[in-house]
Amino acid sequence: MRLAGLLAAALFGAAAAFSAAAQDVARGADLAAHRCANCHGADGRSQTEGIPSLAGQPALFITTQMILFREGLRHVPAMLAFAQGLPDREIEDLAAYFASLPPGPPDDRRARDPALFAAGQALIGPRNCAVCHTPTLAGREQVPRIVGQREDFLARTMAEYRDGERVGADSQMNGAVVGLSDAQIAALAHYLSQRD
Amino acid sequence: MSRRRILLGLAAALVSAPVLAQQAPAPVPGWAVGRPEGSTLAPHAARLTVTPPDQVPVGAIRLPPGFHAEVFAHGIPGVRAIAEGPNGTLFAGTRAIGRVYAITRNPDGTTRTRTLLQGLAQPSGLVMIGNSLYVFAVNRVLRYDNIEANLDNPPAPVDLTAAYGLPTEQEHGGNHHWKFATLGPDGRIYMNVGVNCNVCDTDRDKFALLVSFNPDGSGRRIEARGVRNSVGMAHHPVTRELWATNHGRDWAGNDTPEDSLLRVRRSGEDFGFPYCLGSWADPQYNQGRNCSEFSQPAALLGPHTAVLGMRFYTGTMFPEQYRNQIFIARRGSWNRERLSGYDVVVAHLDAQGNVTRVEDFLTGLRDDANQRFADRPAEVHVLRDGSMLVSGEQMGAIYRITYRQ
Repeated sequence: MRLAGLLAAALFGAAAAFSAAAQDVARGADLAAHRCANCHGADGRSQTEGIPSLAGQPALFITTQMILFREGLRHVPAMLAFAQGLPDREIEDLAAYFASLPPGPPDDRRARDPALFAAGQALIGPRNCAVCHTPTLAGREQVPRIVGQREDFLARTMAEYRDGERVGADSQMNGAVVGLSDAQIAALAHYLSQRD
Repeated sequence: MSRRRILLGLAAALVSAPVLAQQAPAPVPGWAVGRPEGSTLAPHAARLTVTPPDQVPVGAIRLPPGFHAEVFAHGIPGVRAIAEGPNGTLFAGTRAIGRVYAITRNPDGTTRTRTLLQGLAQPSGLVMIGNSLYVFAVNRVLRYDNIEANLDNPPAPVDLTAAYGLPTEQEHGGNHHWKFATLGPDGRIYMNVGVNCNVCDTDRDKFALLVSFNPDGSGRRIEARGVRNSVGMAHHPVTRELWATNHGRDWAGNDTPEDSLLRVRRSGEDFGFPYCLGSWADPQYNQGRNCSEFSQPAALLGPHTAVLGMRFYTGTMFPEQYRNQIFIARRGSWNRERLSGYDVVVAHLDAQGNVTRVEDFLTGLRDDANQRFADRPAEVHVLRDGSMLVSGEQMGAIYRITYRQ
C-alpha cells in the first residue's frame, strides 16, 4: 500500500511536470540554431519583418502551434517544411527552449507614438484581451505572449483573424477582433509591441 | 480544408461586422461568459503530444477488488470517442489534434496504432455501421466505406455534410460544436447539438438538443430538447431507451448546477435548459418557469464533473451486479475551485430503470491534496471479451479494465 502510494505520487509528479521534465532545453537550443534562428532570431527575438518573436512564449503555445502546422490544421507555407514530420519530442524540446529565453522587443522597435499607444491601450479592456492572454498579456499555457511582439506581425495577425484568413486552435480570436478597423488594429499592435 | 475554414470565418465576419458600432464591446470568449472579476479558472489546456509510456499513469488507477487496469494502447494524443469495427478494429476520435486513429491488435495481444485520418476539425463523433465508418467533425459528416480493409490507405469519403445540415462552428459561436454520435438499435444515428453559448436564450429547435438521423442524413428527429451539451449517449440494451450524459452550465457556483444523467422515455422530451436542470432553477435564465414542468434527470452526477462517455455493461467478464448498469466517464472539472470528477462511476438501475445509486469505479487519477490530475477519462467501451476500455484524453492512452476472481 505504501509502495502503491509512492508510485501514485511519482506518476502524478510526472504528469504534472510533463511540460518541463520531458523536454530538454539544450536539445531544443541545438535544434533551434539549425532550424529556427534564421528567421526567428538567434535569441528568439525576431529581427525580420512579419516573423514573430518566440522568446518567452509559453511552451504549450509553441507546441500547440507546431502540432497544428504539422497536422495541416494551420496553414503557413513557410513553416510547412520545418514542421512536417517533426517528432513530438523535438517539438517539445523546441518549446522548452523558446520558453526559457527572456522575452524582449526587436532591436528595430520604433519610438513610441504616445497618441497611438493610448488609443491601443484603450482597446485592451473593451476587447477582453486579458481574459485569455492574462492581465499581464504575457499569455499562459496554449495562449501566446503578445506584449513585446513585433508590431508588424501583431497587426497582420489581427487583420488575418478579422478577415477570416486565419483560425487558431478554435475561433475565439476571430470573435475577439471582429469589427476592428485598420486604425484600431494599428493602435493595438503599437500598444502591445511597446509593452514589455 | 483551409478554404472552407476561411469561408466560414469570412461568413462570420460579414454577418457580425456591420451591426457593430465602432466602440461596441467585443464578445468575451464563450467559456468566459459570466466569469466573475478576478477568477483565474479556465479550461485545462489539452496535451497534443505523445506521453512517453513510462509516464502513462496506469499505476495510479484504483478499482474495486478483483479488477485490474493495464495500458491497452498509448501514444495517441487527444484520444476520446471509441467505435469498433466488425473485425475488431478500434477507431478513436479526437478534438484539437484533428485525427482519427485506428487501433488493431497484434497476435501477441499488443496493439498497433495508425493515424487513419488527420487535418479534420474536431473529429470527435464516430459511428460504425457495417463496414462503414461515419466521422462527425463539427458539422462535417464523412463516411468511409470498407474501412477496415483499407487502414493503410483509407478511401476517399462520401461527404454527407449537406444532407445532415448540422450547424457550423460559426453558428455555434465557437461553443459546444463538437459531436458525440452513437448508433441506435433502430439503425439511426444519435448525436448532440450542444448549445451555442455557456448559458443563453437560444433557438431551442436548433441548439441544446439530442437529435437522430437516418444514416444518410435524412429524417432528422429531435429526441430531446433543453439538453445543454451531451457528450455521451447509449441505448439501454433491454428497454432500448436512449440515455445521455449532460453538462451543466458554468459560472453559477462551485456546487451548482450538477452534471446529469438523462433518460429519454419518449422522443422530444424537454429537459429544461436554460430555465432549469432538475429542481434547480437557473439564477439568470429561469424566466419564471416552474422546474417541475420539465423532464427530470435520472441522476445528478456532481458539479462540473464533465460527464462524457457512457455505456451499459453488456459483457459477462465483470460480476453479475454490473450487468446492464451504466459506466460513465467523468473527464473532470475546470469551472470549480476544487477539482471534481477525473474518474469513472457506475449508475446502478433497479428493475424499473430508476437509478438507485451512483458509485465510484475507476479512481486515483485525481490528487485532492495537491489539486492535480493525472489523466482525464473521456469514453468507455465494452469489448467483446467483456473487458472495458477507458480512453484517457490528456495522456493519449487507452486503459483496459479486466476482472478476475
